[in-house]
Amino acid sequence: MEQEQTLARRARRRRTLLTALLVLLVMPGTILFGVYCLDDRKYYFISLLLILYTMVPFLLVFERRRPQARELMILAVMSALAVASRVAFFMLPQFKPITAIVILTGIALGPQAGFLTGAVSGFLSNFFFGQGPWTPWQMFSFGILGFLFGLLFYGRRRPTTARGQRLWLVLVSLLGFVGVMVVYGPLMNLSAVMMMTPQVTWSMFWASVVVAIPMDLVHAGSTALFLLLLTRPILEKLERVQIKYGLLETPPTSR
Amino acid sequence: MASIALQSLTFTYPQREIPALREVSLTVGEGEFLVLCGKSGCGKSTLLRHLKTVLTPHGRRSGEILLDGVPLQQVDQRTQSARIGYVLQDPENQIVTDKVWHELAFGLESLGMDPPTIRLRVAEMASFFGIQGWFEKSVTELSGGQKQLLNLASIMAMQPDVLILDEPTSQLDPIAASEFLQTVLRINRELGTTVILSEHRLEEVLPMADRVVVLEAGAILCQGTPRQVGKALKTLNSDMFLAMPAPMQIYAGVQSSDPCPLTVREGREWITRAFPQPLPRQELPGPEPDRGEAAVVLKEVWFRYERHGEDVIRDLSLTIPKGRFTCIVGGNGTGKTTALSLISGIQRPYRGKITLFGKEISRYANRELFQGMMGVLPQNPQTLFVKKTVKLDLEEILKGRGIPHQEREKRVLEMARRLQLQDLLEMHPYDLSGGEQQRAALAKVLLLEPKILLMDEPTKGLDGHMKQTLAAICQDLLDQGVTILMVSHDIEFCARYAHRVALFFQGSVVTENTPRAFFSGNSFYTTAANRMARHRFPTAITNEDVIEQWNRNKP
Amino acid sequence: MARRTRTGYRDVFSTCHPAINFFYFASVMLCGMFFLHPVFLGISLVGSVAYAILLKGERTARFYLWGLVPSILLMALVNPLFNHQGVTILLYVNNNPLTWESIAYGLAAAVMLFSVASWFSCYGVVMTSDKFLYLFGRVIPALSLVLSMALRFVPRFQAQARVISNGQKCVGRDASNGNLVQKLRNGMTILSILVTWALENAIETADSMRARGFGLKGRTSFSLYRFDSRDRCVLLVLLGLVAVVLLGAATGENDILYFPRIVVKPLSWWSAVVYLAYGALCLLPLILEGLEAYKWHRLRCKA
Repeated sequence: MEQEQTLARRARRRRTLLTALLVLLVMPGTILFGVYCLDDRKYYFISLLLILYTMVPFLLVFERRRPQARELMILAVMSALAVASRVAFFMLPQFKPITAIVILTGIALGPQAGFLTGAVSGFLSNFFFGQGPWTPWQMFSFGILGFLFGLLFYGRRRPTTARGQRLWLVLVSLLGFVGVMVVYGPLMNLSAVMMMTPQVTWSMFWASVVVAIPMDLVHAGSTALFLLLLTRPILEKLERVQIKYGLLETPPTSR
Repeated sequence: MASIALQSLTFTYPQREIPALREVSLTVGEGEFLVLCGKSGCGKSTLLRHLKTVLTPHGRRSGEILLDGVPLQQVDQRTQSARIGYVLQDPENQIVTDKVWHELAFGLESLGMDPPTIRLRVAEMASFFGIQGWFEKSVTELSGGQKQLLNLASIMAMQPDVLILDEPTSQLDPIAASEFLQTVLRINRELGTTVILSEHRLEEVLPMADRVVVLEAGAILCQGTPRQVGKALKTLNSDMFLAMPAPMQIYAGVQSSDPCPLTVREGREWITRAFPQPLPRQELPGPEPDRGEAAVVLKEVWFRYERHGEDVIRDLSLTIPKGRFTCIVGGNGTGKTTALSLISGIQRPYRGKITLFGKEISRYANRELFQGMMGVLPQNPQTLFVKKTVKLDLEEILKGRGIPHQEREKRVLEMARRLQLQDLLEMHPYDLSGGEQQRAALAKVLLLEPKILLMDEPTKGLDGHMKQTLAAICQDLLDQGVTILMVSHDIEFCARYAHRVALFFQGSVVTENTPRAFFSGNSFYTTAANRMARHRFPTAITNEDVIEQWNRNKP
Repeated sequence: MARRTRTGYRDVFSTCHPAINFFYFASVMLCGMFFLHPVFLGISLVGSVAYAILLKGERTARFYLWGLVPSILLMALVNPLFNHQGVTILLYVNNNPLTWESIAYGLAAAVMLFSVASWFSCYGVVMTSDKFLYLFGRVIPALSLVLSMALRFVPRFQAQARVISNGQKCVGRDASNGNLVQKLRNGMTILSILVTWALENAIETADSMRARGFGLKGRTSFSLYRFDSRDRCVLLVLLGLVAVVLLGAATGENDILYFPRIVVKPLSWWSAVVYLAYGALCLLPLILEGLEAYKWHRLRCKA
């Protein structure tokens, strides 16, 4: 039994390592390859390929694991919540909790669940608000945020003192701010630039970044705020259903 | 076809002392229609969930469950999935996918059938249920009753031998519930499927049953044909009678040597036999003389949701007297709930006037209206719970109003005492039963000390005992001068407890009167007791009335 | 769009097999993104806009007319601000040359963007969630089920959020007025209630899945679609057209050089063939619609 657990843990660690490798090495490699070996007209093609690259392993790992009903359910619920939650803030149209919910899913359920929730949310929201060339980018940007926060926070012990908890909360929301400004914003700007013109120049990219700064700031600020206010209740709720219904705690094989 | 046998099944939930099921032994024959009844929390659901391994709760268990003589644990999942169909309580929660056709095919996909077979099975089922027209629809477009029928159809597409239904109609309105139960009966009669159904609204179900099993505190109290159970409960003098159909309740309250009547028709015949001659004519009660001060007055109110939409409320004029209990009854989609939202100020009429205590509703500031004036208990109490324990949740409502902490705590404890929530204060609101959740939500609303309380279908999903508790709470509030307005499908409840009843039709009030005058004046839209006894006791509208008049007139 | 119901009239191309729909959109979108040759751009724009009007009706036409033309012009003017390549200098702005080539290039980029966006809007109407799930249900069964469940949850959660918001209003917390902090706090409460409600109720959904045998080995996937002989015909035509267009691309018919000077291949009989094939490709849904209309006309005349 114990041996089984350690094996499972090792397998999990290996999977995480593999996914991290893919995200951090293979993808930049493809970008470099694209930039130096292909004509600059093919930018969009390369980037699309890249996006697909990153999603494939996640999907494969997930599918091969033959996830249980409750696991699928919680992913579906979190993604749908991420999309539907903007209704709760109908009176503050610029406040969309989608990023915060994706990040929190990563923290509570791990990098893979974070990525999948992010990607599904991105796809889903475009089902309701119109698909476009930005869809894969958005899926990827949300996914990677969920993934990164899962890597950083999932399974780590959280501080127990009141002061420590407060600091931890501030840390999470600060990182949420940084994540949106450094990961989500630039990725989406890049996609916009590449959609707008086949001939991408740095000046164009920087111009788009500058133009998008106010929007990105609102997005990042609201995400940080959401994280500050929502982290504790949402993590509590997720933990509760996990405990109450034995969700995700037993690996599928032992059933 | 299949038979199921339970052999002295005992089950205890983890961290509990008292077993949820005690020595339950039961056999269900092939093609039988078995009805399981009992108070909320008597172990009905726990028992039913034991009949399918994937749904069986964790805990300590002894005894045996046999499917066709084979212990259920030894029956593999594939066989169980195919042979035992299970329909749960909430129509919404059971639906998995977004399209009707996909939902119908879901179970067959799990069983690994090839598409042509699935196509055939799904087509068969859709035709049997008469739901071909919905086939390509989104699930969102269906009504609650249609959703529950879809759940049933998608289970039946797997062609199970046993169909288990756990309070399947508790969330439906009476007409949808009746349609649903008729379909279940058809499945039993025409396909020979064994049916095991738990219910607390037994009027309709009991006459269908081959056998009835009454559970009390996890043990079988009595079982047999409906008539036998009626007799047994009468001799046991059990309070389980509250859950039985009106004819049986009346039967239990009078001296009669006839067999127990089950349906209104049988009840009528039984009364005719007991009173062969028409009785001296009784005076119908006249209108109530003094109606006192008005709490809410609606005058020629019109409302629609969209500018070019249809009128939902048309020319509605209604006066709700202060300190009384008023009920609005009527069919689905007649605008009852919309009327509530107008009175609570959630929606605004485009024509007409609504006044609360003589002041127009639009003149009230939001705070003034909802803190100390108007309390609204939503249909689904879960939509009010924020915190992780009932106590924190109740305290939450008082926050931000400048009430010191100690005072808050005092008020919460006092309210908990009034609504019998003392033992539940430390629990998570979602771990409470339906009736308890509703009391917790009501406590939350009452902490705002409303003068007018609006309730939307508060008796939905409650059993007879919880309804009594609710009625007692209402009485307590009325004694304190609170005005209560309730929208309901539950005419039995209205007949018994309301001061005034109004019938809604086409967005307006058709008639409004005291319950006695109201129900004895109607011939369809009235209580079962009245329908059964009206030819002899026209003014009797509740079971107690009939019993009382019977005893008065019987020498 | 997921919200679109499948009642009422659907155009002929939408009734084709989902694989054809998907393949078609993938090809016209990719071609639309990579071909910067003015003739190709024009064909793609006309095809996509015409199809969008067929799918969405007159209001879209007006939207296109009033929205499209000004924005294309605007974008054509923005590009030269960043791009000073080209030899045909029209004038100098702040010591930077404004060239004819960069304006032409901006115009081309703008047309490309709009035709792709227009194709996407058609895609949204034609490729309903059912079709998408059908296509990918075999490759990624678990995730496509997640998607299907989530598609059901979103409208349900939205409705529930409204119910909760009304419930909150009734305890004196109106989300639509008050200052920013109050609005935010009320929104948080609504969201918090929604999250609990969604998670707790979803457990029953999972139970219902398991009660219907989810998790057994060898799950199949059912669909309403069948690849019939008409689909085969359409696919053959589609493949033929795509092949001609790709061959044309390989021989450089779609090549264009904007800088330093605009250079295109001169018109030949082969380029005319490629243009025609591309035109037929982009107008395929309209051609199918026309053929069907003609058939109906003939049927009615005979009867």
